[in-house]
Amino acid sequence: MNRRQLLAAAGASCVAGLLARPAWAQSAANYAVPPRFVRPDIASDEGGLWAMMDREEKSLRRSPLVLRDADLKAYVEGIACRLGADHCADIRVFLVRTPLFNANMAPNGMIQIWTGLLLRMENEAQLAAVIGHEIGHYLQRHSLERLRDIKSKAAFGQVLGLLGLVGAVGQVAVLASAYAYGREHENEADRIGAFLMHQAGYDVAESAKVWENLLQEAQARDGAEPDKSSPLFATHPAPPERRDALEQLAKALPGGTKGSAAYAAHTARFLDEWLQDEVKRGQYAESLVLLTRLIASGTASALASYYRGEAYRLRGGADDQELALADYRTSAADPNPPAQAFRGIGLIARQRGQRAEAAQAFARYLELAPDAPDSAFIKVYISELS
Amino acid sequence: MKKLLALASLLLLTACATVTKVDTGTNTVGERMSISLDSSWNHLDFPGIKPAQVWTMEGVTVDEFLIYAGIREGQAMHPENPSGSKQKDFVFHSSMQAEDIVALFEGVLTRDNSVFKLRKLEPYRFAGKNGFRFEFERIRKIDNVQLRGVGFGAVDGGELFALLYQAPRLAFFPRYQAQVEAIARSASLR
Ligand SMILES: [Zn+2]
Repeated sequence: MNRRQLLAAAGASCVAGLLARPAWAQSAANYAVPPRFVRPDIASDEGGLWAMMDREEKSLRRSPLVLRDADLKAYVEGIACRLGADHCADIRVFLVRTPLFNANMAPNGMIQIWTGLLLRMENEAQLAAVIGHEIGHYLQRHSLERLRDIKSKAAFGQVLGLLGLVGAVGQVAVLASAYAYGREHENEADRIGAFLMHQAGYDVAESAKVWENLLQEAQARDGAEPDKSSPLFATHPAPPERRDALEQLAKALPGGTKGSAAYAAHTARFLDEWLQDEVKRGQYAESLVLLTRLIASGTASALASYYRGEAYRLRGGADDQELALADYRTSAADPNPPAQAFRGIGLIARQRGQRAEAAQAFARYLELAPDAPDSAFIKVYISELS
Repeated sequence: MKKLLALASLLLLTACATVTKVDTGTNTVGERMSISLDSSWNHLDFPGIKPAQVWTMEGVTVDEFLIYAGIREGQAMHPENPSGSKQKDFVFHSSMQAEDIVALFEGVLTRDNSVFKLRKLEPYRFAGKNGFRFEFERIRKIDNVQLRGVGFGAVDGGELFALLYQAPRLAFFPRYQAQVEAIARSASLR
């Protein structure tokens, strides 16, 4: 589907929305949540799927990539419980340090959320939209349908054979999640997610913003037609379509809270680490959109300005050094500046032969971060410069 | 799915790569760099990371010794990106400062979504030039193994010469660190 067709499709659904509330918007208002699941018989295909996910969860528990922070874990689990209601007791949340937008829920109740997704959420309602969507897949047991579908495909055994070769049992879950849910499943999960959000008192309109923000990042990277190149967008309904459908759902389910302050309070301590991971990806076009959004929203703007400066400096285009310097200076002027902003100024000034400014900035960096990993190097710079 | 196939093909490549023994004594790597070895290493002919070379003691799934013997202006580090996505190349420029070069290594070592943490960056005489030495920790995404690593490098005549060693932090890194440090001290350029 090209962009024009997408826009036409989006337009068509808007018109339909004006004429009569679409059937799916009505059904969102009264979803019957199924009772809690009992562990399926191990001999059944569903039981096998649960067992596979139990193994994955066991290895995830030991993973050094899982965040051990009790406060953040409890906060996110609290959101999942509000949404899952009766199913709360069956849900376990794992926050995984990986700088990509990803979340999934296994049939055994394990939810994985990557830090690249947490970094991109503007408030609690947006995170609730993602978790609600995953709980939607869980409640409808979509993964079982997907498994039955995959099994019928020859490629499965072939790839499984390759993985078996290296004994990477845990990678089977990667395999399962690499196979996307079908479009019908995704739309259903969005509808259930919206219902659960509304029941839990969240503003459903925030769910559309998640996709709008992602769309902007993807467009910065790929131009106008992002849906083909990104694995996420290739395997999910196209973001414009999805955003528009969610906007319609929000109209049918008005009200609710955003929870911006609570979200900022629980995630603030992690922003430095998450932003550092983000910029290291080398996907500067995407990072710049994200960082510009963070700066505009006033969220940790001194930190976001510093990292936007890093993204410009590392990208190294024609005007990037100038743009980087401007951001470093903005960051350094903050009443509570990140130490690295001064290192950024120092590195650029040194490269430009502005010795006094470089020496001064490096000195300030070491004053603020005496134990910085590169302190020995910076000291040599200072002695060379003075 | 794309990612998975890339992983599978990477494994196949690894399995097919030819391994040659690198003997003790002085070895020339690339056109200008020599290093001397107290033990023999295994050199994997792994085309994906040219112009670097990969050596290993225990096998590349355990430890990796990467040798960069002359990366030129504008040349990409590990241009054949194993993750198969359209991620950008990390390109070396001869005007880069040590911090920027370490950022290049960070970039290539986190391209698979591994986590990298710089522990130390300090001045170092490498191959008779004013260079740098850095230490890092890495959590390898594919198998969650915690690695430690050390790197050495310098820019000479506009080219980057560097060595980087990484291995699981508990058993293997301590076992080979002294050897790697000795190799770094032995490096010379002509
Ligand atoms: Zn989904």
